[in-house]
Parts: sequence; C-alpha cells; structure tokens
Amino acid sequence: MKVALMSFAHTHALGYARLLAAMPGVELLTSDPDAVTRPAGESGGAALAAELGVDYVDTYDELLAWGPDAVVVCSENTRHRAHVEAAAAAGAAVLCEKPLATSVADAEAMVAACATAGVPLMVAFPVRFSPAFTDLADQYRAGALGKVHAITGTNNGQVPAARAWFTDPVLAGGGAMTDHTVHLADLVDALLSGVPAVRVHATANNLLHPDAAVETAGIVTVTYADGTNLTIDCSWSRPASHSIWGGLTLSVVSDAGLVDVDPFAPRVSGWSESAANELALGYGPDLDEALLVTFLDAVRTGATPQPDGHVGVRTTAIVEAAYRSWREGRAVDVDPAGRPASAGV
Amino acid sequence: MTTVGLLGAGGIAGAHIAGWLQLGVDVVVHSREGAPKLVARYGGRVASSLDDLLAQCDIVDVCTPTFTHRALVEAAAAAGRDVVCEKPFALTVEDTEAMIAACADAGVALYPAHVVRYFPEHVAVHDAVERGDLGTVAVQRYDRQGTMPVSPWFLDDELSGGIVTDLMIHDIDFARWNAGPVASLRAVRSVPDESGTVAAQLVLTHASGSVSSIGGVWSARPVAFRTRFEVAGTGGVLRYDSTTNPTTWVNGGAAAGADGYAPKATLGESPYVTELREFLAAIHGGPQPRVTAADGLAAVRIVDAARRSLALGEVVNLDTSLDTTLEGAR
Repeated sequence: MKVALMSFAHTHALGYARLLAAMPGVELLTSDPDAVTRPAGESGGAALAAELGVDYVDTYDELLAWGPDAVVVCSENTRHRAHVEAAAAAGAAVLCEKPLATSVADAEAMVAACATAGVPLMVAFPVRFSPAFTDLADQYRAGALGKVHAITGTNNGQVPAARAWFTDPVLAGGGAMTDHTVHLADLVDALLSGVPAVRVHATANNLLHPDAAVETAGIVTVTYADGTNLTIDCSWSRPASHSIWGGLTLSVVSDAGLVDVDPFAPRVSGWSESAANELALGYGPDLDEALLVTFLDAVRTGATPQPDGHVGVRTTAIVEAAYRSWREGRAVDVDPAGRPASAGV
Repeated sequence: MTTVGLLGAGGIAGAHIAGWLQLGVDVVVHSREGAPKLVARYGGRVASSLDDLLAQCDIVDVCTPTFTHRALVEAAAAAGRDVVCEKPFALTVEDTEAMIAACADAGVALYPAHVVRYFPEHVAVHDAVERGDLGTVAVQRYDRQGTMPVSPWFLDDELSGGIVTDLMIHDIDFARWNAGPVASLRAVRSVPDESGTVAAQLVLTHASGSVSSIGGVWSARPVAFRTRFEVAGTGGVLRYDSTTNPTTWVNGGAAAGADGYAPKATLGESPYVTELREFLAAIHGGPQPRVTAADGLAAVRIVDAARRSLALGEVVNLDTSLDTTLEGAR
C-alpha cells in the first residue's frame, strides 16, 4: 500500500512517519514544502525526512501524482481543509491530524469532499484506542456502569515549543482550547455513541504565557443532548521545564461509582540525575500505532474507519461554540447536527 | 473558663465538640434532638433550651442545618455572644448580610467555619501561592466527591441550597482565597433521576482573569470521600489527591470494628481544632483569623450566583466591588 504523509508541521508527523516506515506492506512517501515558511531552527523538509529515513518529494503535486492509496495530513490546523480536499481529489483515503478543522464550515466541506470522491475520512484521535478507554466504553454499553451522570476531563500539556504555529492564531485557529478540547470531546463522543453536544460554555486566559497571541489556559463545559455534562480543562499548564509533555484523564460519575481513566498511567517513574528531572518510562500500548493500523485496515477492506469525519465535525462544532461562548461571555447553543444554531443553517 | 454553647448535634457538631473539648473549653449543647447522645460520646453538658444555652455560654457555635442559621445567629448576637457559624453562613445574601449586621450592631465577633482553609494540604498550597512560588495563578481545578448525605435536609435545595451551596462552597472559598474575587461563573448539574446521584460542575472566572473548575459529587452508591486539586501558575504547578496520599497502606489488617491492626488517622492536629483555636484566640483579642465574615459573605454571594446560573443555564456576572475582604484576611 502506498501511503503519503503531507507535511511535518504537526510534530505527531514524526511518530507517524517512523511507524509507517516500519510497517510491512507499506510504502511511505513524504513531502513538507511549507517547511521553508517555518521560523529558523524548526525542523522540516528533506532534511527531516532524511533524518527519519523516509522518502521525500519537494511538492504536494508530486506526492499526490505518485498515486497514494492513503494520505496522512499533518499540516497546520487551518491548512487541513485544502490538503484533505487535494488528497480526496487524488482518490486517496484520508487520515487527518486533529482537530479536523478550525470551523464547522471547513469540517463539513472536508466531509463533503471525501464523500464526493468516495474516499474515507478519519480523524487522528488516538486516545480512543487506549485499552483503558475501550474497556470503559464497552462496559458502559454493556450496562455495567448504569447511567453516566457527569464527566470531567483534563488534557494538560506544555505550550507547544517545537513548532511556533501552534500559538499563531492564523495557522492554528486558536490556542489551548483548539489543541486540547477535542481529544476529550472525541472520547465522550465515542462513549455516548455520538449523542450531539447542545450547549457549550468556555472561559480562558493567557496568564501562563502573556506573550502568546492565543489562549493558553481554558475550561470548556459541554452539555450533551441526553443531559450529560462534560467539563474539560484544556490548559497548556504543564511547566515547560517538565520532562513529561502532559497527559489526559477522564473521570466519570456513574451509578456504579466514580471511575477515573488515565490512559498514560502505565509508566515506571523515577528521577534522572543527568536531566535533573522526572524520569517516566511509559510501557502502555502505542496508541498512534493502533490508530494507523485501524486506518490502514479500513483502507484495505473499504470499511469506514472510526473516528470518522462526522466525529470531526461534531468535535469542531464544540470548539467553535467554545470560542463564541468565551468571546460573548455567555453559554451558547449547538444544534443536534453539531452546528451552532445561530450560524443560521 | 470559656464556655461554648454548641447548637446542633449532627455530623459537624461532633467534629466541633471534639475540637472545643480538646482546646480545654467548657461546652454546653442544645439541639432539637441528639444533644444527650452527643454529650455522652464526647463530653460537655446539655442545655435545656436555647435561652438556657445563651445564659450559660460566652461563645455560640452554630452547627445546625443551614436554613436555621440566621435566626440562631441573631439570637446569639442579641444575647451579646460571639459567634462561630458553620458554612454556609446562610442560603441567601440577604440572610447573611442580616447576620453580619446583627453581630456588628451587637459588637460581637462572627466567624464562618470554612474548615478547608485549615486542612494541611490546602494550607500548603495556599502558602505556596502567598509566597509567590506558583507565580500568577492561572488555572485551578478542584474535585470533592463523597457519598450522598444521610440527613434528608441536605438533599432538599430549599433547605441546604443543594450540592453547590453545601459541598462545593468549600472549594469556591478556597479558589477565591488563592485567585481573588470572582467576576463571573457558570454552573451545570446532572439531571435528577431515581438513583439520587448528584454531580455539579462550576467554572469561575476571577477578576484577575484566572479560571477555576470545581466539581462536586454526592454519589448514591457509597464511595470513599475524596478530594483532589491542581493549582497551576507561571511559577509551576501543585497537585493533591487524597486517594494517592496514604501515609499507611495496609493489605490485610483488621476489618472495621474487629481486633487487629488498622491505622488511626495520624496526620497530626485535626483541622477543626486548628480552626476553632484560631477563632477562640481572635475572640480573646488575638489576631484576626484567616477566614472572616466578609469571606463567608463572599462565598454566599458566589453560591447564590451559581444557583441562579443553574436556574438560568447561563453565565452570571458578579459585582466584584462587593467582594470586600477584611484587612488581614487577604
């Protein structure tokens, strides 16, 4: 199978490239033409491809002319739409880095483009492949938890330092709320089997990084159509000097009691004398690998991989509503289709 | 010798009477029910009536259900007694202001028993904030989870104010202590059902721009009481989880009530003792306690706004000019 990787802008691209290159039956070709627009000192382009030991071409035209069966899009958030549409037009199945888009309009256009081209669209939400989460979701569906009364989640991390675009509103579409709301929104979408969000409230600040042009801390509350409330701490509140990037946790209040899930908990902890920092050796499964395997299996079989573009639209709608709420200082509605009601569809 | 007149004989009265007796004060108790049992367990004496209690004591400690606080605080003030009052002060801002005015007019002290400010792990993080170790506080997160209360009045919003007013007020007060006045908030709550489990989520935006997320659970299924928090600022992050801080962990050991080894709480002084000692010292002319009537009023203003937010499903703004913390209490 021919797999193309579009852009090394998102640092997850590096992990995907290594994993794809090692997969039997996968031919990998990469391209990262926008590397020249990155600030000096940021990795990218042919040099990074050489470092990763993967094949490289200079332009996306060459990449898509190669005739890939599947394309993984890892560009800056606001460039996702153009790249997904180009990949779909080339007839390739698409896996797009999260968030799918920075507006519902873009997300819906991407879903429509893939539908028109007859190719699957999957969004890169690897945490839902965590065995701890799938077990929770399976047991919830089997009735072991009874009713879910409330959910809280944390997705805290360091302010992304390897790539400046994460804090550039033009390229990222926003800050921590864009980056760290959607993983938990995806998990709850999976847990509640796609019950749509109906109302959103958000508040945010950039007190941790006053020079940032985007919010670096935020709290988002989502109410779903079945009445379930989800509050997400999406802050980039992990100190930059910390050796561990951050983490994600999900806490569920259910009839069966209080359940906390920490997909990144499997690790041996200690202290590094040389780094003068905490040492943590994760031994959990590689969630990115599970994501890629699911995607490529779907490409082979023609199945619709989950989480699909509709999940991408619903999670994007939550983030779009969160910004509207924060801007307007009030809670806002999201209609059951996953589109903010006042957008006037 | 100082005599404390304890009103009420429910759950919090037990913690308070044990604390007062440990501080060496004389305690007289009056309650509609349960006073003899409380005294038999901890010590002290039973008063025959409210008037009898007021006649015998120097300080009144109000540990009755919230909806009775105002009348009892006013009676204590009218009798010229200094007052300690369990949190929340009252169900409404109006009642709280009346209580504060009654005590001010009578020239007696009034202190709200926001005991979380005395819990050692909370003290540790607040001291770090005060020292500036965390720099500017940007995000705070609190969870307070337990089994639903046994006394039915807690579950009646008209009598207790509900989970936000009764339970989450602890973290509301503490978040405000760390990050200052609250400018706006929004609250949501689980849909009531036959299970009885209640879960609420409250998001505060402080006047400083700092944000706080507070979760509260009253679980119908019995659960171990648990608190956790994380406070993040420009200087670093501090976190605590009561479930992951066991000073003693026993695998095996004795079942509850049986012979054998079971660890007793050995974390040092009870936060209730620390709290009541500080109130007692202040009443005797010592320094102002770390929590004052103004803090108690500010907390009631916030929970009042949270209840309006729950009713409206909307953001509620607060007038931060009303959040006047007394000198010395930060």
